[in-house]
Amino acid sequence: MTAILKVNNLSCRFGSLLALNDVSFSVDSGELVGVIGPNGAGKSTLYNLIAGALSPTAGEIVFDGRSVTHLKSHQIARIGIARTFQIPKPYRQLSVVENVMLTAFQREKSVGRARALAVAILSEVGLTDYVDAPVATLTIGLLKRLEVARALAMRPKLVLFDEIMAGLTPTEVATMTKFVGDLPARGITVIWVEHVLYAIMKTASRIMVLNRGEIIANGVPAAIARDPAVVKAYLGEEMNLA
Amino acid sequence: MITLGQLVLSGIFIGSIYALMSMGLTLIFGVLRVVNFAHGEFLMLAMYGAWAITRLLGLNPYIAAIAIVPAMFLFGAIVHQIIVRPALDKPHLVVVFATMGLSIFMQNVALMIMTADLWDVPPIFDHSVAIGPFYFKAELLVGFVVTILCTLFLRWLIRSTYLGKAIRATVQDGEAAMLMGIPVQRIFLITFASGSALVGLAACMMMPLFSVFPTVGLNFVLIAFVIVVLGGMGSIEGALIGGVCIGVVQSMSSYYVAPAYGQMFYFILFLLVMIFRPNGLLGQKGAATLGIND
Amino acid sequence: MPGPHPYQLVSARSPLVWPRRGGSLSIFEIGIFVACVAIAMIGFSQNLQDIVVLTFLWAGLALAWNIAGGYAGLISFGHAAFFGIGAYTSTILFLRLGLSPWIGVWCGGLLSAGFGAGLAIICARLRGPFFILSTLAAAEVARIGALNWASLTGGPEGLSIPPVAGIANMVFASKTPYVFLMLAFLAAVYAVTKGLEASRYGYYLYSVRDDVDAASAAGVNPLAVRTAAMALSAGLTGIGGSLFAQYFLYLDPTFLISPDLSFQFALLAAVGGLGTAIGPVLGSFLITPMSELLRSYLGSQAAGLHLVIYSALLIVVMLYFPSGIVGALGRISGRGRNL
Repeated sequence: MTAILKVNNLSCRFGSLLALNDVSFSVDSGELVGVIGPNGAGKSTLYNLIAGALSPTAGEIVFDGRSVTHLKSHQIARIGIARTFQIPKPYRQLSVVENVMLTAFQREKSVGRARALAVAILSEVGLTDYVDAPVATLTIGLLKRLEVARALAMRPKLVLFDEIMAGLTPTEVATMTKFVGDLPARGITVIWVEHVLYAIMKTASRIMVLNRGEIIANGVPAAIARDPAVVKAYLGEEMNLA
Repeated sequence: MITLGQLVLSGIFIGSIYALMSMGLTLIFGVLRVVNFAHGEFLMLAMYGAWAITRLLGLNPYIAAIAIVPAMFLFGAIVHQIIVRPALDKPHLVVVFATMGLSIFMQNVALMIMTADLWDVPPIFDHSVAIGPFYFKAELLVGFVVTILCTLFLRWLIRSTYLGKAIRATVQDGEAAMLMGIPVQRIFLITFASGSALVGLAACMMMPLFSVFPTVGLNFVLIAFVIVVLGGMGSIEGALIGGVCIGVVQSMSSYYVAPAYGQMFYFILFLLVMIFRPNGLLGQKGAATLGIND
Repeated sequence: MPGPHPYQLVSARSPLVWPRRGGSLSIFEIGIFVACVAIAMIGFSQNLQDIVVLTFLWAGLALAWNIAGGYAGLISFGHAAFFGIGAYTSTILFLRLGLSPWIGVWCGGLLSAGFGAGLAIICARLRGPFFILSTLAAAEVARIGALNWASLTGGPEGLSIPPVAGIANMVFASKTPYVFLMLAFLAAVYAVTKGLEASRYGYYLYSVRDDVDAASAAGVNPLAVRTAAMALSAGLTGIGGSLFAQYFLYLDPTFLISPDLSFQFALLAAVGGLGTAIGPVLGSFLITPMSELLRSYLGSQAAGLHLVIYSALLIVVMLYFPSGIVGALGRISGRGRNL
């Protein structure tokens, strides 16, 4: 198994705040890696660094063998890394399918084919009924699914999911869990930040735990659940065992 | 050397008056996150008012301030309620177009009523004031003193009074402020009206020094924008520093370079600041690059 | 909270009748085009033909502005600078080098496009009101430059094009050829706009306008998109400026590069409907004739009255009908959707 993503000694400092401190890990192609941690642990910062929205103060990021540390967001997207946003950021003046078409243009250059691809992706995430709906009519659960659809329309090699379960009903959680769990088999490597631990525990081959900008645990779900350091980090945190 | 000293000092004095004119703009942006594109026309309106009271009642603009400042406060409150407030919860370009429209509206109403002629008031003092080897118009010095007093007053207000704290809370986090019981809508109203009143005061200081005509606002609003950008949007002290800088730049460039190109200088300065330090010298970090996303 | 929005979504269930974004021409649009050609062919009086010329020209310019302001979300109140650059370029090339305006028009357009691109790059990091202020400042720099660089631009006296009629000079004795010229300009800019809507580049514009972070994450390069949109918008505005110069035969920097003119482009687009193709056209068709008629009836007696009316109109439209005429019509007929 080759490492598709390697993060080496990554640090990110905002003024006096060290959001990420010397973080190193690697992700193999075809893995589904969960990332958990209390609020403020640095998960969003990590995503922003990988996705090119931020530049690290130290360290490097290597994707598919090439250094991508200082690439901008759109360059990162073009080499095959997709991401969702924790607070959905749809294009409000476009319809649902048009939202997905934007990302689909990465794969299909014609408007017609991009639309077809977008419609196909939307049916995969169960949004067929909303294809031409204005985005403003969507509930948060549907918007989260739209985020997933947008990311997948790019046919990425690596996708970074950011809390895509928040606001979903239990049935939606179950469906989405299965859906994401199937992605590695389709050739998509997944990194998944999530608070709904049930979903990750079920699907991830490996879980990393972040706390205060550092990785405090990195192993199979069963081991993580028993790790005292992890439990301590979460003391006082509400464990969502949906 | 005397010339240089004269230029620099008079630049500082006139710059402070420009700063007074800009404080309202920066205050409004700091709190409401709105650029009032009609700011120059508020100035024009107040200047016409000062002119009218002076010429028709035989008073002088400084005394007229007693009426103009509250009148401008009221005017600002009305504009806020009718135009700004309905636009606040809409996409940002609505308030941009609305205040831009207001600007053109006021310019042309003034044109229709007052014609394009330049009106001015007689000088208030009949001799200049000597400071060391330099001579300055007394009106210039009065403006400078008033600006300094105003800045100190505003600093005290923002730092020490409940209103000031409420304003700072609203700036930092409007939603949290609302949850704390701060009447955010009223803070917006008071801020907008106060910014307007400040412009009124500035107009009274400027009337003895400049003529008023319908598009006078356009000249000064661009100066005000440059000052506010230089000093940092939302910073009163920044406006003062920015104003002084601009005053000195203008004073020196009108003397050493052709006056016609003098105007171009501070636009270029503006664009340079926008490129290299869009947050200005003392402004809120990220103000320029955050902007408002529709 | 959904409510009418300036950047409205017009997508019809009945595409034939109503303009549809990116779709083929609707009956409505074809009807308008036919009406324009008919109006162009009718031999009106000189005064009325003058109004028709200006209506078509401002419609094309409002459309050009709309590419940046409506589609890309780059609100500019300095577009008159590009108008002036185009006008001066073709005129100076004609007067100094004898270059035919038919070629000079393109040179003006290219130079304006270059300045547009430059402005977009310089102001790349600026958002919202800061960007708008920068466009204002840039236009003022251009105006002062034009006013004072007398050796190039003739300074405050401006430049005059000799009224020697001839196709090669793009100067015509009667107004009718000008009517067709401006209509051709309008049709061309309209075609560009529709073509943009139908292509993925149009979508790139919307994405950068609506959520630049999401657009970046989708692989869209915001700087490249904004620069291209501004360059296209500026270039088309420059071409319009050259055409105006050929019609008016006199270039006055105070009028050509004025904030009032910049405001007018934005006004027409906003009142008609930002981010739609037919919007700016309808905006001009509604406002320009009224403006010209008011100006001729009231003359200098009520100088500024027409602007009083139009600015009041803009305020009302923006506060209560932000999707403009197109949005209002859409809501009435139940066909448009407004977010």
